[in-house]
Amino acid sequence: MAVIVETSDLLWTIVASVVAGIGVTVVFSVAIWGAARSVDLSRSERPTAAAAAAAVGVTGLAATLGAVVVGLVVMVG
Amino acid sequence: MSADVIMVIVVVTALAFDFTNGFHDTANVVATSISTRAAKPSTAITIAALLNFAGAFISISVAATVANDVVDAGVITPTVVFAGLIGAIAWNLITWWFGLPSSSSHALIGGVVGSAVIASGFDAVLADGVIGKVLIPAIVAPLLAFTVAGVAIGLVYRIVGRQRPGTVTRGFRYGQLVSGGLLALAHGTNDAQKTMGVITLALIANGSLGADADPPFWVIVSAATAIALGTYSGGWRIIRTTGTRIIKMDAAQGFSAQGAGAAVILSSTHFGFPLSTTHVINGGVMGAGAGKRLSAVRWGVAGNIMVAWLLTLPAAAAIGGVTYAVTEIFGSGALGPVIVSIVALAASAMLFARRSQQGAPVPAS
Repeated sequence: MAVIVETSDLLWTIVASVVAGIGVTVVFSVAIWGAARSVDLSRSERPTAAAAAAAVGVTGLAATLGAVVVGLVVMVG
Repeated sequence: MSADVIMVIVVVTALAFDFTNGFHDTANVVATSISTRAAKPSTAITIAALLNFAGAFISISVAATVANDVVDAGVITPTVVFAGLIGAIAWNLITWWFGLPSSSSHALIGGVVGSAVIASGFDAVLADGVIGKVLIPAIVAPLLAFTVAGVAIGLVYRIVGRQRPGTVTRGFRYGQLVSGGLLALAHGTNDAQKTMGVITLALIANGSLGADADPPFWVIVSAATAIALGTYSGGWRIIRTTGTRIIKMDAAQGFSAQGAGAAVILSSTHFGFPLSTTHVINGGVMGAGAGKRLSAVRWGVAGNIMVAWLLTLPAAAAIGGVTYAVTEIFGSGALGPVIVSIVALAASAMLFARRSQQGAPVPAS
């Protein structure tokens, strides 16, 4: 039965889907959180906190793009 | 000469199927981006068509599954493949006529299995491959997309729920340009490969390729082109209906649904599972809706999808089997496929003409 159902491949598909689907969405949400907080903190005239939030946003964006690129490289490989 | 004529008919029929697949599935790929206003319809459709084309070149795992793991290429003939394609196209047209959601992928595999059974008996069907690489993933993948999208949107709302809606919406709309692109790429990767696999199967059955051969480059290019053209053509047709038929969702839900769909399809493609991209994308959309509130999901649509899923494989198999039996009445040469092709073309033209007279067709979701 294990051979018929390709258990290993199916399990990897599930793991990869969960990690990529939830991971990328969460990381991108962090990027948006950083951007939105940065705007709010700038309006509140708290430049240091705004810069920190912006840094979180940029990191989240970079992580999102990195994850997409890695995913595609794995696919092609 | 007769074998060459049959091969030409098979290739043309397969590419026609690929075109209708792109035409049929455009709504699934672009609707989310359009409904959340992440992209203009023209932009979304053009990008989807281009990425469908590009996606077809990424992998050949699914093509290999269709060519080698569904039916025994050693005992079937190009006519069997032709009959299977007719079964798939006929079922797609029937479901299109009645507005039922259906899977082109399951129709294709069902059609080929049905004609192979009539031609060579049940021994021609590779049960392990059909169960392990088609049926089980067909059940798991939409549920997986539903779960991933549902969990993802729940986390998204926790992370950005207290931020200004305007900024959040704009951010996710930009994100949808990437997630929608990935979804289009994933669609091209999985769906175009099924056509490549079927043409390769016919070439193997015809003796033009060795057993376990990969799709030739001309097959990859022609399948990529057919699905991209179908996507582009279908897109313009659905613009009128997208505004009213799409479930209302916000940009964050759109991003989650597209991200889940792309992740599931790309992962499955990597391992050679030929999925119904329609079911996966719908699963993602429903998951993103259910993650917000359960009543946001049109459970009736979910039920229709389930019914169509149950019907598609046996119905396409039955039509494929009957088609093969009809072609055999005219002998094993090219006459049977030629006559069936003419009848199929005439029937399709009649259906389209009738539907045009009655008004715009209801696109199957």
